[in-house]
This record gives sequence, structure tokens and C-alpha cells, in this order.
Amino acid sequence: MAMYINGTGCISHQNTIDVDDFFENSQVNCSSLLSAKEPDYKDYVPANMLRRMSHIIKMGVAAAKISLQQAGFENIDAIITGTGLGCFEDTDKFLKTLIENNEQLLTPTSFIQSTHNTVAGQIALLIKCHSYNFTYTQQGLSFESALVDAEMFLNENKNSSILVGGLDEAIQPYYDLLVKAGYIKKQEDIITEIEKNKTHGFCLGEGASFFVLSNQKNKTTKAQIKGVKTFIFIKGGDDLQAKLNNFLDELNLSINDLSLVLSGNSGDFEDDKILNQSNKILFSKTDIAYFKTLCGEYFTASAFALWLASTIIEKQKVPKALIHGYKSKQELKNILIVNQYRNTEYSFMCISSC
Amino acid sequence: MVFVTGIGIISAIGKNVSETLSSLLESHTGINKINHLQTIHKDNYVAGEVNYSLQELENLAGLKKINYNRTTLLSLLATKEALASAGIKDISSHRTGFISASSVGGMCHSELLYKDFLEHKPHENFIDTHYTGSHATDVAKHFGFTDYVTTISTACSSAANAIMLGARLINNNMLDRVVVGGTDALCKFTFNGFNTLMILDKEWCKPFDNNRKGLNLGEGAAYLVLESERVAKAEDKKILAILSGYGNANDAYHQTASSPDGQGAYAAIQKALKTANLSPNKIDYVNAHGTGTANNDSSEAAAMQNIFKESMPPFSSTKAFTGHTLAAAASIEAVITILSIQQNTIFPNLNCITSMQDTTLFPVTSLQKNVKINHALSNSFGFGGNCSSLIFSKN
Repeated sequence: MAMYINGTGCISHQNTIDVDDFFENSQVNCSSLLSAKEPDYKDYVPANMLRRMSHIIKMGVAAAKISLQQAGFENIDAIITGTGLGCFEDTDKFLKTLIENNEQLLTPTSFIQSTHNTVAGQIALLIKCHSYNFTYTQQGLSFESALVDAEMFLNENKNSSILVGGLDEAIQPYYDLLVKAGYIKKQEDIITEIEKNKTHGFCLGEGASFFVLSNQKNKTTKAQIKGVKTFIFIKGGDDLQAKLNNFLDELNLSINDLSLVLSGNSGDFEDDKILNQSNKILFSKTDIAYFKTLCGEYFTASAFALWLASTIIEKQKVPKALIHGYKSKQELKNILIVNQYRNTEYSFMCISSC
Repeated sequence: MVFVTGIGIISAIGKNVSETLSSLLESHTGINKINHLQTIHKDNYVAGEVNYSLQELENLAGLKKINYNRTTLLSLLATKEALASAGIKDISSHRTGFISASSVGGMCHSELLYKDFLEHKPHENFIDTHYTGSHATDVAKHFGFTDYVTTISTACSSAANAIMLGARLINNNMLDRVVVGGTDALCKFTFNGFNTLMILDKEWCKPFDNNRKGLNLGEGAAYLVLESERVAKAEDKKILAILSGYGNANDAYHQTASSPDGQGAYAAIQKALKTANLSPNKIDYVNAHGTGTANNDSSEAAAMQNIFKESMPPFSSTKAFTGHTLAAAASIEAVITILSIQQNTIFPNLNCITSMQDTTLFPVTSLQKNVKINHALSNSFGFGGNCSSLIFSKN
């Protein structure tokens, strides 16, 4: 069943608030920590609420508001979010004070804002939405889990519109933890052609991408999500390829129908191995672009990819920064997103024009 | 229809279903002096700890040198019992999912190492097991779940939402069967968090008592095996209960506090009744969220009164047995509710003596046997205004 994308809002390392600027001036990243370009949050959130909000809450609430503005209404029937890391800034703040003060003289604010569903709850508060409210956290499948739920929700509730988002923050202590664990790419190892990496590590990104989805097409519809599928523990390139063929079969599509593939290479050559093996077969038949060169690697980078795909379909053009993987000038009809996170979680999403 | 064909549980009142049932029948609480959690507050508070060390939990699971944290081990033990109880030997024989829930995941381990990290001292890598969904990946790997694995984190209603999601995955024909539930280990992070909110009772909690002072924290895990009617019948499975209704709604009132009239709770119960196609007077028992905080119990009582009006069924909160186990609470209470249905027994709301001033409702305070329970409602509410209700029915 199709899910129509009737509004989008995205905050990322690129200027995704201004779409024209995004297409012209986006840059392939060259740093191992890719912080978000933030808007003036006062445009989206009342100042008295803004004061207490952590980084991820601000990004999430603003991205949600932008998507609702695009859709033209706030009266939605569900809020479903996915976040791999949750509210780490507040978690770190509370834990740090707990340790430094030896469990004494603590204040509750950062604790009560540390739960994973804080952003979904804050959005509900802000727009007075009393309906269904779910938050998923499954590392690299957190956003896809929200989308799978969205697909069922729209199937169960005809004529409804729902808000779905994926969000994660890259704050300094988390970055430091990943550096210590050896997961962050060394500055000297960063290359612009991410698929050609021969070194370990990825560049950490962050962002919030929200979508107003409906089973009804209307005048604000940008694109449709034809399908979403998640996997853990893929056995190899052949296994991924077979699963991809099944996915496309179920959608009555073949590889030849794909205008573009957005591949979730992280830049870690080990983690990207299976993806690269599978991509080899796609290469001869379609164009491949690597979206994490724009947004960095994070648990919900696939939500950025969905925003990118729907924007590409809406505008019928590909950002200049991604052109190196994009050769043909055909109509952009079906875009496949293939993502991996740490070679453990894999997902497919198919986005089409309508 | 969605059938419950297996249950597994570990909490302060027992490491499996049979120990849990004995404790419930004997009105034996699991809330005691703090023994395992290394907090400076340990001598001043009580909690519902699972009475095993990490090492002992590893031994119970039959694992050596795996280095799972407490949250993962609790999840693994309860999942193992649930699968055995449903007689599932080959996970891959049907499309089988694993939907878990947790609030803080690996925090019980991370918080012990974070000091070294902050002080730039060498420490073992804890970030891979810190994530709230990490335990689900490990447990899925251990048992061989591959079809659909995810984790829900909506604070104290998390496991109810995992159970609800599992039922919907079956009803939407995306899975044939699914193991659903939640896990949370006690940790200093959560303990101090609730302490700063000043909603911890230093003595045994007294849900629905006029003099209630707050909640006792607990820990544990519980999982249910849900199967589609087609698979359960084809395999001639013993049906423990039917999961007949579920609903989720948002209070949209405050990040942590519930609205005085329990608007979110009311909406969640309404939705659960609607999916079960039942009128309120068909509910024979309510396992209430009943944490023992002033705010929750008033708000929940108001919501129940508005739903049931003159036909209020008997109700009890079983949190005075287990403590509030946060993201695991709804699955622990789902197992207890199913035991109530099977045993025709209402387990008591311990420690409640004085009626609340703002309601006429009063819980069941002693064990009630030979009560026919055809339909039972279980409530769970959490931070972020998250409210969920489930209805279990006799087969």
C-alpha cells in the first residue's frame, strides 16, 4: 500500500531548510563530526518551551513543525518517531552530575527529558495531539521501524494523516565515546568518494527528518513510499541481492525500473563490503549516489535519505554534490534506498513519483 | 484473533512463571532492602530487585563469558521461558518476530564506566551495549530471530506498546507469531532520576491508598508469545489467553505528570474496548497501572470512573509485589493478568488501607479465588503522556 508524502521537514548537516540552496550549494563532507545547520528555532517553537529543550528536542520539534507547515495542517492522527541514541545530551548531563555530585543535589529536568519518547511527547504537547504516539529505538533500524508502523497504521485507519520522523544527535561526549571505541574515521583518511574507502571508521552526523504521511494523495503530495523492509544479520552480498530482488518483486518493479539508488555506505570499508558487493550488480543498470557523504553516518541517516529521495522526485533533479554518482538524464521515477548500519542492520525503502 | 501461547517472566517475585504464581498466591512481596544496586541511597530505600547477581543470572541462562549486561540477561531468561512455554523449538518454521521494550537499555553497565570515561581513564567499550535496542539485537541473535526485530521505548508504557505492536503485525499478516515484552534493570541513573522527582516511597508503596507516598522501583523482564489463529490452530497449541484489545493515546498534558481527569488513560482504555468490541461492563478485572504516586493513582481512578461509571469491576495494582519495573512493567503485569484469568483469581493490591478522598474506588486488597474472569484490562502509563491499555480474554 502506498504512503503519500504530503509534507517534509529536515534539519541536517546541509542547508535542508532552503531546498534551492541545498541543490546548488551542498558540500560533500570533509570532517569527522558533521553538526547540523540549525535554523532560528524561535520561528518554530514558543520561546518559553525552547529554553528547556536540548539539542535533539529542538531539531525534532522544528523539523516536525516544518513538515506540518508544508502539509498545511496540524490535526494529525498519530506521531511515530525513531531514534537510535535517544536524548543523549540530557542523559549525559544527568549522569555526569550524578557521578560528580556522588548522587546528591540532582535536579530532575535533564532526567525527565532523557527518555527516548521525549520528542514525540513534546510534539504532542505542542500541537495538542491526543492520538497514537510511539517511539522506536533499534539502532540503524529505528526510523524504518517507525515507517513499518506507519504503513500498518495507514492500513488500519483509512483517511488519516500521520507524522513520522527519524532523529539523532551527535553531541561531543558521544563523539568522544565513538572515537575511543575506534569507530570514527581519522581526519587524514577522509576521501570524497566514500565507496572507494580502504580504511576503517565513519564520519558522525546528526539530524531530524519528519514526514507527514497519508493514504490520500493531495495537492501537497511530493512522492509516495512504495515499500519499506528491514533485516538484521545479512549473510553476504548474494543474500542482500536476493532480498533486494524479492523486495522489488513484491512491488512489481525490477532493477531496470530504478532511476537512482541511494546507497548507505558509511565509509568504513569493512561495514560497506556487503553493500558494495550487492551494488556491483546494480551499477550496470542504474545510477548510484551515496547519501552519507552529505549527512554523515548516524542511526537515523535513512530518514535523511528519505527526505533526499522525496525532494529529488519532487524537484526532478539531483543535488550537484551527488552528481558524480549520477549519469543519466532520464525522468526520476523510482528511487531505491539501500542502507546498512555497522553491517548489522540493513533496510530497503522505495520512493516513487505519483 | 491473536492468541497468547507462551509466557515467561523474571522479577523480584520469582525467576519464572511458577515462582511468580506462588508469590502472588501467598501475597509475598519481592520488595526488600536494596542488595545489588550500588547506590549511596541503598540503606534508606526499598526496591523490587531480581535477587541474583550478574554472575548468577549468567549461570541461570547457562552462559559463560558472554558479557551480557543485566538488562540483556533478564530479557534472555524471560524470552527463553516464553519460547519453551509455547513449545517453539524452531524459530524459523514460521515468520517469527521479536519486539522488545526498554527504557534505559544498557545504562546499568554504562553508568559504572562513565566516570572513567569522563576522567579520560582507560575503560572497556560500553557504547555498543549502551543503546536501548542493543539487548534486542543480542537476544534475537541468541535465539535466531531474523524476520522482524525492533524495540519500543515510550517510558513506562513501553512493553504494552510492544505487545500491541506484535498483535498488529499479526493482524496485518506481516508475521505469523511474535515474542513481545520488555526488560529493564535497576540502575543508579533511574533510581536517582525518580528520587529527584520526589516520588519514591522509602517504605513499601501503597497504591490507591489515601496516604500513599510514592512508588518503589523494581526490575525484571517478561515476554509473551503471540500467534496467529491459523498457526496456533494448525499446531494445536494450548491457548493461554486471547489478546483481544489494545489502545494507545497521548495525554498531551505535561512531560511527566498525568492530567487530573486522566484524559489520555481514558482514551487508551476506550480504544482497547473498541478493538475488543466490548462494552465496559464486560470487563471483569482491571490490573491497574497504580504506581503509588499521588498523581498517577488519582488520575487513573478518575479515568476508570469515567469509563466504567456504575459498573466498575474489581481492580488491583500488583506493583506492591514487583515494584515499578518501568519499560518491563506492562509485560510483567500482562503475565500476571493472564495468570489471573487462568487461575480465576484476583491477586491483591497490597498495603492499601485507607480509601482515597477524591474517589469512591477501592481496590481488591486480599486474594480473591473462584472469580470468573472472561475479560481483563491492564493499564500502563508513562512519561511523555504515553498511555496504553490491553485487554486479555479467556479462550
